[in-house]
Amino acid sequence: MSALYRTLKYAAILLWSAFVIAPFLWALTTSFKTANGITGGPTYIPWLQYEPSIEGWRLLFSSGGGGIQIGGPYLDSVIVTVSASLISLVLGTLAAYGLSRFTYRAGFVRNADITFFFISQRIMPPVVLAIPFFLMLQFLELLDTKIGLIIVYIALLMPIAVWVMVDFFNTVPRELDESAMLDGCSPFEAFWRVILPNSKPGLVVAGLFCLIFGWNDFFFAFTLTFTQTQLLPVAIVALNSSVTPWWSLSAAALVSVAPLVAVAFILESYLSRGNLAGAVR
Amino acid sequence: MSLVATELTHRIDGVAHLDGISCALERGRFYVVVGPTLSGKTTLLHTLAGLNVPDTGTITLDGADLAAVPVWSRSVSMVYQQFINYPHLSVYENIAFPLHRRRLAQAEIDSRVRAIAETVGLTPLLARLPGALSGGQQQRVALARSLVKGSDLLLLDEPLVNLDYKLREQLREEFLNIFSAQSRSILIYTTADPNEALLFDAEVLVMHEGRLLQVGTAQSVYAHPATTTVARIFSDPPMNLLPGSLDDTGLRLSKDVLLARPRHLDSLAPGPYVFGVHPGDVALDASGIASEVELAEISGSETFLHVRHGDMRLVAHLSGVHAYAFGENVQIALDSAKLFAFTPDGGLAAAPASGV
Amino acid sequence: MSVERGKLVFILPGLIVLVAIILFPLLFTIRVSLSSWDVAQPGLDWIGVTNYLRLAQDTRFWESFGRLALMAVGSVALQYLLGFGLALLVWRDVRARRFFRVLFLIPMMTTPVIMAVIWRTVFHESLGPANDVLHLLGMAPLPWLSQAGLAMTSVIIVEVWQWTPFMFLMLLAGLMSLPREPFLAAAIDGAGPIRTFLRVTFPMIAPISIGAIVIRLIEASKILDTVYVITSGGPGTATETSSYYIFIRGLRDFQIGYAASLSFTYLVIMAISLTVIAKVLARAMLVKDAAA
Repeated sequence: MSALYRTLKYAAILLWSAFVIAPFLWALTTSFKTANGITGGPTYIPWLQYEPSIEGWRLLFSSGGGGIQIGGPYLDSVIVTVSASLISLVLGTLAAYGLSRFTYRAGFVRNADITFFFISQRIMPPVVLAIPFFLMLQFLELLDTKIGLIIVYIALLMPIAVWVMVDFFNTVPRELDESAMLDGCSPFEAFWRVILPNSKPGLVVAGLFCLIFGWNDFFFAFTLTFTQTQLLPVAIVALNSSVTPWWSLSAAALVSVAPLVAVAFILESYLSRGNLAGAVR
Repeated sequence: MSLVATELTHRIDGVAHLDGISCALERGRFYVVVGPTLSGKTTLLHTLAGLNVPDTGTITLDGADLAAVPVWSRSVSMVYQQFINYPHLSVYENIAFPLHRRRLAQAEIDSRVRAIAETVGLTPLLARLPGALSGGQQQRVALARSLVKGSDLLLLDEPLVNLDYKLREQLREEFLNIFSAQSRSILIYTTADPNEALLFDAEVLVMHEGRLLQVGTAQSVYAHPATTTVARIFSDPPMNLLPGSLDDTGLRLSKDVLLARPRHLDSLAPGPYVFGVHPGDVALDASGIASEVELAEISGSETFLHVRHGDMRLVAHLSGVHAYAFGENVQIALDSAKLFAFTPDGGLAAAPASGV
Repeated sequence: MSVERGKLVFILPGLIVLVAIILFPLLFTIRVSLSSWDVAQPGLDWIGVTNYLRLAQDTRFWESFGRLALMAVGSVALQYLLGFGLALLVWRDVRARRFFRVLFLIPMMTTPVIMAVIWRTVFHESLGPANDVLHLLGMAPLPWLSQAGLAMTSVIIVEVWQWTPFMFLMLLAGLMSLPREPFLAAAIDGAGPIRTFLRVTFPMIAPISIGAIVIRLIEASKILDTVYVITSGGPGTATETSSYYIFIRGLRDFQIGYAASLSFTYLVIMAISLTVIAKVLARAMLVKDAAA
């Protein structure tokens, strides 16, 4: 290809990369500002355009005066997301194995329909479920609790686990299951002792997807929890509407998103092993 | 003790994978199922193993109906075409796996595993993972795993077809030694290659489109194929089938070929027949039938010459490498003493005398 | 056979949980929609289809669909074009591929709401860098969040930032899985890059394009978080999507019965539209391929 094409190509890529990084950089510099760096108009370079301070970051661990105790929401998010993801992974993987290996038939409903039922839950707009979930949890006295939220998240994350694992199990040769059964394993033992140990790549991707979607939820956490349980996205958005200064807001936002950047690296290394082009579907 | 299958039928989307299969297999015997692809061999094995439930028919072992016994309680082993081993376990653990399920003592398991590994030539590889082995080694592991539990039924589904030629020959020999050394199990081996069946010199079951066409020793099926279909399946390249007739003047082939009536066909009534001759019994002979070459297929150190005379087509199996041009004229001769005669509806009427 | 009984063990736990957690709420919603449950009169009574008659007249509800369509289609179209363009640029270049795959993965992984909080500061009319950049380019500052059309644009920009990577990754995976032979054949036939793209690349990747677009449309149609944070549906109702409106009615005004009827109607409309769109897209892309 001509040199012109190559320059244009790298220019385009560079431009897009700048666009991708821009908000992070902006939040980063902003987190080190104080009132001076903001009120006169946007500033970018520390020391040259504004006097940096770590006030924004310090405020992450205090309350009052624009501070947020970020530890609490972080912990809540971890507990809720990890629990829900684990349970969803277990239930979803079991169901996915069944759908991949066996033929189910109830009336006119078959495997493909059941799979579609699981996966089509993604079409459900959260709003539609918010009201009944709210009333249900209120009835069960589980509003504003971690357990209530975990139950709701399981319903949301299980379809993801099923979707990834069905695709994955379909790539494992059925002869492996057969061999295990011929060697004396019942179907469940075959699943447990032979197929599962060989499913690590699929489980990792399914698990990571569950963690990401669970961690990133805002709406259900927002409508179903208030003061006793507060997840990270809710806490950050709560800051947004009050008089929180931009510097602590930016610091809080960056800290919340940091683990996900780490997960992005992990996920990429799994995807690049090539064995999961299907999971990206 | 015997395994008796009665009227096994299995249809998928209207196509019969098994169409009324019945047979009786004895313990300690080695059976080879021969048939082209999609003849139902794999379905038959799956059904005998219990992995597939037939639409109709029964399978009994020593008189007891197997339908009530789930797969994991049966005494069956299977070796597949694709090298199937447990990827996450070492060779040792792979072979030990079926024994663990039986809850045997550790010492017992260890001695059995090592004995089998020795028989199959795997002793130096016991600590490796299947992924680190070559194709031939992986199949040995699969074989070891299937032998170690001494099951009543040992099924092998074209196990050598994914290996290269030399390895195939070597493993075939080893298989034969191992198989002839044991006397408890029923061994069923499938292949699409009739030469393999002849090499094993075992009891043969010929399958085609889900049906069992003939059962007998390899030699007898080769010498007396029951139908033209069997004749074509059980010979590679397939037997030449030439429509013709017998009458007072002799044996007619095509419009203008007249041969003297061979002795072994004396008892046949005059009329139309389909004559069969193995490619190996077709030779180049200066005094033979004039034909033109359509194709000279060179395979290894042999040549398969496809010739045509009028509307009669033949394949001759010649040793050595011979290059012929398309359309070249050659003279071919058929050894009439080696001709088979089939009735027009395909049944065998007469076969060459043995020893000829 | 015992295999038959064994297989239920696998699917029943998940199926039961899902049915309990999703199906029952849905049926419950329908029942609630036939009541007049709100702050003043909590509880399930029966008023028949009154709520549905009311929503038929609710222009704010119907207008929200238009805004939703504009937002969803606009952002997904941009995501597709940009994602596809980037994938094409990077497809054959191994070094660039890995670096950009990680880089581009990051926006997708971040919490949309939290990024929206950051974007809100970016679009701030006097204190944010957006107008500063325009100033550098010699253009006048824009009222990003206080003018109807621009507010919609701001939301679309944020969505494009967040989700173009998804398109990029899917299309890249698709491009990399294409067989080489058709491209070699095209090269031998003397096809230039544009022809090769139109006749070979694009048709072959059509199924994946459709899949990616449909998935993104489904997700985009649920949009609420971003709108809530950046514009709160405003200015006025300029960026109020259907989800947002239902949220206001149900969980702000607490008109639960009415909101339930809005929810159910919204769900039915979405389910039908998305299925229709998916089928139309599938046919359009595949017919084009057959004709090519």
